[in-house]
Amino acid sequence: MSTTPRLRNMRRPRLEGSGRVRRDPRAERLYCGEPAGETLSARGLPRRDPRAWYAAGPQANGRVRIDRSQRPGSASVAASAPLRAAEPALKTVVIAEPAFWVLAVPDLDDGRLSAHDRDVFGGARLLAADGGAVVAVCFGPAEGLDLAGADRVLQFDAAVFAGYAPEARAAAVAAVIATLDPRHVLLPDTPIGGGDLGRRLAAQLGETAAVRVQKLSAGEAIARGNGGRSDYHMAPPRLLLLAPEAADPLGGVRHEALALPVPELDTPTRLLDRGLLAIDPNSVPLAEADFICSAGNGVHDWSAFHAVAAALGATEGGSRMVCDAGLLPRHRQVGASGTLVDPRCYLAFGIAGAPQHLQGITRCERVIAVNTDLHAEMVKRADLAIVQDAQRVMPALTRLIEEKRHGA
Amino acid sequence: MALDIAVLVSVGRHPASARNRRAVLDARALELALNVPGANIHLIHAGDADEPALREYLGMGVERLSVLGVPAHADVLPVLVAHLKALRPALVLCGAAAEQGAGSGELPYRLAAALGMPIVPAVAGFELHGGRAQLAQALPRGRRRGVEAALPVLLSVDRAAPEPRQSAYARAQRGQIERIAVPAAPLWQPPGEEQPARKRPKRLKLISGSGAERMRAAQGAAASAGKGQLLVQPEPAAAAQAIYDYLLSEGILRG
Repeated sequence: MSTTPRLRNMRRPRLEGSGRVRRDPRAERLYCGEPAGETLSARGLPRRDPRAWYAAGPQANGRVRIDRSQRPGSASVAASAPLRAAEPALKTVVIAEPAFWVLAVPDLDDGRLSAHDRDVFGGARLLAADGGAVVAVCFGPAEGLDLAGADRVLQFDAAVFAGYAPEARAAAVAAVIATLDPRHVLLPDTPIGGGDLGRRLAAQLGETAAVRVQKLSAGEAIARGNGGRSDYHMAPPRLLLLAPEAADPLGGVRHEALALPVPELDTPTRLLDRGLLAIDPNSVPLAEADFICSAGNGVHDWSAFHAVAAALGATEGGSRMVCDAGLLPRHRQVGASGTLVDPRCYLAFGIAGAPQHLQGITRCERVIAVNTDLHAEMVKRADLAIVQDAQRVMPALTRLIEEKRHGA
Repeated sequence: MALDIAVLVSVGRHPASARNRRAVLDARALELALNVPGANIHLIHAGDADEPALREYLGMGVERLSVLGVPAHADVLPVLVAHLKALRPALVLCGAAAEQGAGSGELPYRLAAALGMPIVPAVAGFELHGGRAQLAQALPRGRRRGVEAALPVLLSVDRAAPEPRQSAYARAQRGQIERIAVPAAPLWQPPGEEQPARKRPKRLKLISGSGAERMRAAQGAAASAGKGQLLVQPEPAAAAQAIYDYLLSEGILRG
């Protein structure tokens, strides 16, 4: 009992530290907007705190910069500003009464505008520069048409236009051409999409299209022919099928993308779409594969890996480690020293993500990673990252897919 | 009754040696026709009958080649339309684009429009059942789409079709070339001023910023850095469900 008063009188710095409100004069100065690092001394002389720039934290580009401007307050202004400048509001271009129309028919593969589609809209804007308006003719829903440069949108949503329906689509575009009488019609020259549709239109309208247009400007189109050995320089005709990168995509402005009324059509259907055919995914070269399921050093259960790839219908790939070990053939290696792949989706089991491997999947839009290491580069790169042992996830995924398939 | 298949062939050109040869895509079209059992194949060319490269098609196993005698640089469309209207084949096969001349790939479409046939491009294979053709169409990324059409139909063939068989020299020499006189055809006009093709520079993607940012962009992380969904130590079933839902929502798997 005799020790208690003594303890009570003793200072206990930890308790004090937790209970007391501590002041940080440097932070207070920054908070009040007082010039950081610039104070007046007792004698009234300006004093510079050499540590203030550091306390202000990182500035432009995430780097700590020393303010040498000698202006009082500049450091604090920079520090209180957000690290990244806000996106400037995009200017909306309004073309209320267009002098003429230019049609752009994007492919919209998977319902998205591809880079090639954006180039087509860029070309359409070039040709519509003097008072014209760009009309996007879309089959199915599309996003981002305003940023691509469409002033008006004609969206055909009927079931006859879904899937592979080139005859119905050609009839629809021909009907639009008959009503709007556009000065130009632009399509991407892709083998099954715009290239097919554009040549159908050319045959239907009895016009000659400029095909595989390499470069487009307001006054000239450069088409390619003669087995790729000749360029034909011409004034842009009505129908233009554009190769990738024939024109630059639009940037920094927004167009209205107002919906136009869609005409009712009587469309022919002599071709029936029977859907995608089942093919052996491993017969497809890795560079062309649509969906890759890839294994790295974290995969030990190879039968489970092959089973999950087969259940998903994915082409198998691997990291350098597994190909070096002979667990997968060399032509299945993904990465800088293997194949640079371009699938729609890349599912990586047990891959940490060496820089060379990540270089191989640069062009992938969707990456799923399953890895035990939370801090792996692959986990940072992935759109869906799962920190778990691949050996446990692979059979669970196979089971789930089998269940869904048999249940449906 | 045997099925009549017309195969339209042209003279190709080797990209390295610049010598005339059988056109790669037309040879594939002929290969598809040769694989139809019991078919009556009509091999048709419009141009110069004395071109030695034409015999390479005969060497693939066809007895006879009909040559519609039009001069060089003539528009072959009216001649072909007239010949095919008289022949009335159930199936017309051709390559997607010629290797010489315009080679714009428009001829099959104009021909189909003139003959009133449906056309299917990029055919990789087909089967015929009771007056209907079940077609496999080659899509990008090695995918195939099933398309069904009633005969007669025009099919254009691209590189996804099976490799053509070798051409046998003796057979090529034995084969007959039938010369068919046709009325004078109008000359083909190039669509513009013709110049040798110039290789165009690829568009550069400029990435500014620090070295670390450029490295991240080179690895493709810049676009999606920090945006992804992260699941830490989920149950395997929950992880599988998350992957499945993601694949469904992105349209990679179909439910």
